[in-house]
This record gives sequence, C-alpha cells and structure tokens, in this order.
Amino acid sequence: MNIFILANEAAAEASPLSFKLLPAFSTVAVFLVAFGTFAFVVWPKITKALDARDEKILGEIRAAEAAQAKAKAAQSEFEKRLEEARTAADDMIRKARAEADRQADELRTRSQRELDDMRLRATQELESAKRTALAEIHAVAATLATTVAGKILKREIQPSDQKRLVDESLSEMTSR
Amino acid sequence: MQFLLASGNNPVSHVLDAPVRIGGMEPYSGLTLQVVTLFVGLIAFVAVLLYASKNISTGKEALGHRRYLSRGRIAQVIEVMCLYLRDDMLTPMMGKKDAHKFAPFLLTLFFLILSLNLIGMVPMQDLQLITGTWIEDAQLAVVGGTATANIAVNAVLAFFVFIVIQAHGFRELGVKGWLEHLCGGHELVAGPKGLWLVVPIIFVVEVLGLIIKPAALCIRLFANMFGGHTLLATLLMFGGMTWAGTNNGLATAGVTLVSGIFAILITFMELFVAFLQAFVFMFLSAVFISLMSHHEEEAEAHELDGATAAAH
Repeated sequence: MNIFILANEAAAEASPLSFKLLPAFSTVAVFLVAFGTFAFVVWPKITKALDARDEKILGEIRAAEAAQAKAKAAQSEFEKRLEEARTAADDMIRKARAEADRQADELRTRSQRELDDMRLRATQELESAKRTALAEIHAVAATLATTVAGKILKREIQPSDQKRLVDESLSEMTSR
Repeated sequence: MQFLLASGNNPVSHVLDAPVRIGGMEPYSGLTLQVVTLFVGLIAFVAVLLYASKNISTGKEALGHRRYLSRGRIAQVIEVMCLYLRDDMLTPMMGKKDAHKFAPFLLTLFFLILSLNLIGMVPMQDLQLITGTWIEDAQLAVVGGTATANIAVNAVLAFFVFIVIQAHGFRELGVKGWLEHLCGGHELVAGPKGLWLVVPIIFVVEVLGLIIKPAALCIRLFANMFGGHTLLATLLMFGGMTWAGTNNGLATAGVTLVSGIFAILITFMELFVAFLQAFVFMFLSAVFISLMSHHEEEAEAHELDGATAAAH
C-alpha cells in the first residue's frame, strides 16, 4: 500500500489548521535548544570575533593615521631644515662673494699703490741718475774743457779759473 | 510513473503532517513526519551555526592578519547575514542598545525558520517513496514535510515573540506605562477629558492587537509555506491526472514536461520565499518589540514642547 494513499486518507480527516500538541511542545523544546545554542555559544563567538576584527581594523587605521601624521611632521621638519640649509648656503655664498670682492678690491688697491710707489721710485731714481750723470758730465766736460783750454792758452789754469770758465760755458750753453 | 504520482490525488495530503511509518509496522501516530523534520532542522541549525561560528572566530596567531578573516563560504555567508541583520536592519530600527540586546533572540528566529523552510524544500518524502518502491514493502516514511507549514509550530514561535514583546513592554514602560500604552498612550490618558471617550475603543483595539500581531506572524508564515508547497504538489499532480484521465503516454509526457518546468520555476520562487518569510517573521517581530520601547526622540520632542510651553 502506498503511504501517500494512507496520507490521503489521513488528510481527508485532518485540517491544515488543526492544532496538535506534539508539534507545539516539540517546537518549544526545539526553540529553547536553538536559542540556548545561538545565544550562549554561537552569538558570543561571532560578536567576539567581529569586535576583535573591528578593534584590529580600528587599531590599524589609528596606527596608519599616527604614522601618516608622523611622516607629515618629519616631512615638514625636513622641509624646514632644508629651507634653513638653503638660507645658510645662500648666506655663505653671499658672504664668500662679498669677501672675494673685498679681497679683490684690496689686492687691486695694494697693487696699484705698489705700482705707484715703484713708478715714483723709478722716477726719483731716474732723476737722481740724471742729476748724477749731468754732474759727472759737468765735471768731465769742465775738466776736459779746462785741459783743452789750458793747452790752447799754454798756461796753467787754476781751479778757480776752471770753475769760472765752466760756469760761464754752462751759462752760455743754457742761454743758447 | 509512481513518482509522478508522489502527491497522490490530493495535493494537500503532500503538505499535511502524517504519522511516521517504518516498514510493515503500524503507523505510530504519536510521532509525525513534521516533528521529525523539526528536529532535523534543529540539528542542521546547530551544526551549521556551530561550524560557522568556529570559522568566524579569530584564528590562531600563526595565521597573522588572516586570522581575523572568516574561513569558508558558509561562515562568510552566515557572517554577512548576521552583520546585515544586526547593523543594517535591527540597529536603525531599534537603536543600537535594543538591537544588540534582542539580536540573539531575533536571529535565532531567523535562522531556525530559515533552516526549517530550507529543510522542507528537500523532497525527503518523495525520496522515501521511491526507495519504498524499489525495496519491497519498505514503505519508509520517517522524515519529511515542512515544519513551518504546521500551524502549531508557527504558533509556538509567535508565542515566544508575544512573550518577548510583553516582557520588553513591562520592563520599558512599567505596569502603569504598559496600561497607558493599551489606552492610547500618556498624552491621551492625561489629555483633555473629551478624549477619554476614545480610550475604550483604543483599549479594545490594542488588546486585540496584542493577539493579532503574533497571530499575523504565525498565519503569514504558515500560509506562505503551506500554499507554496501545495502549489508545487498540484503542479506535480497534473501528469498523474492526465494519465488517469487519458491513458495516453504522449499527452502525459507533454503535460508532465510543462508542469515540471513550472514546478522547477516555482521551486526557485519557494527558495526565495524560504528566505523572505524567515526575514519577514524576524523583521516584524523586531518592529513589534521596538513599538514597546521608549523613543528618545519622542522624549526629547516632548521636553522641547514642554520648554516651549513654559517659555510662552
């Protein structure tokens, strides 16, 4: 006999809305066991894991934010120091350039002065040499003229005569 | 042809509860198929959720960062369901405190009803019928049917919801507040005397509502599961009816093919309904529970109204 024929016979008597105690009490037991399992075993495990994961994610986000803030601070510090270094380098270059200019000016001035001194000394030496030469020329010329004149006149010319004659000759030469 | 006649000549018979039957023994009327299915559903519920919770929980430290991830598809699906229901459905409706407080109860309802609905979709009765056909006089029928298509099962689940709603109401509102709630709320009771005329009407409506709300939960679930399975059984009957009426194999095959295709489509819809009805039962339970809560926004609004009135 087919069980569904039995079922059909039973269905003819049963109503879908008939309330039976066995399924009802079974449901009470089943629900209590299900609730107990879920509420005291399953749900705490799930919420604990989800909370741990949330904490982990939040912790990592906070750490990432802290690292980012630290990196930003380091970057701004680096940029500040770079700017300071750049300013210091500019100062050093400006000072070095000024020092070089100053030294060049000083060198140029000193060289000019030395050159002027040398020129002055040379001029003085030249004048001195000129005077000496002229004096020697005077002396030699006088001696020579006296000697010549003496020979021409056949007489001894005294030094005073010699001097006088030279001076006269020079005066004439100068006047000419 | 035997299995095409699985629904017999009465589609309701396929959905109604029937006694357990083993071999040639007389049916034991004390134990029914749906009751056995109820316990099978419980075993599935416990097994799947224990497995899922184990795989959702934080793993060993050796796994590194991966220990915080859920392991396995089932665990991931259960986790997504739990998170969605708690954070995106219950919390906006009930507030964080109540949502976290009632989540175990409401999610138990959801997962238990879902597991019973899904177990009910497995054609265990028909498989046993085929087995019984192959094995002479086996006539095995120990499990089958949909437990949530049994009004008693749904009534008990709805009764638990009723208990929780009222317990929450007493706790939140106190006895006086609960009685005031039945009479339309404090504003109506303490309001102008002319409004007292409507208090008895509201009282009757609210008292009826106490019963109607869980009864609606019970009947909605029962009607959907019973109706869906009856429709499936009816579709599967058409082949047998054609054979009985015509004795024509070709006509029977044609009708069976068309009705079979429809049965497959309806089965997919039933799969959706299994999830939907579990969700609706839990969702409405949450709504009914939250209706008995103090609403901070309302309290703030009342304080604001009071302050405005005092200023005037």
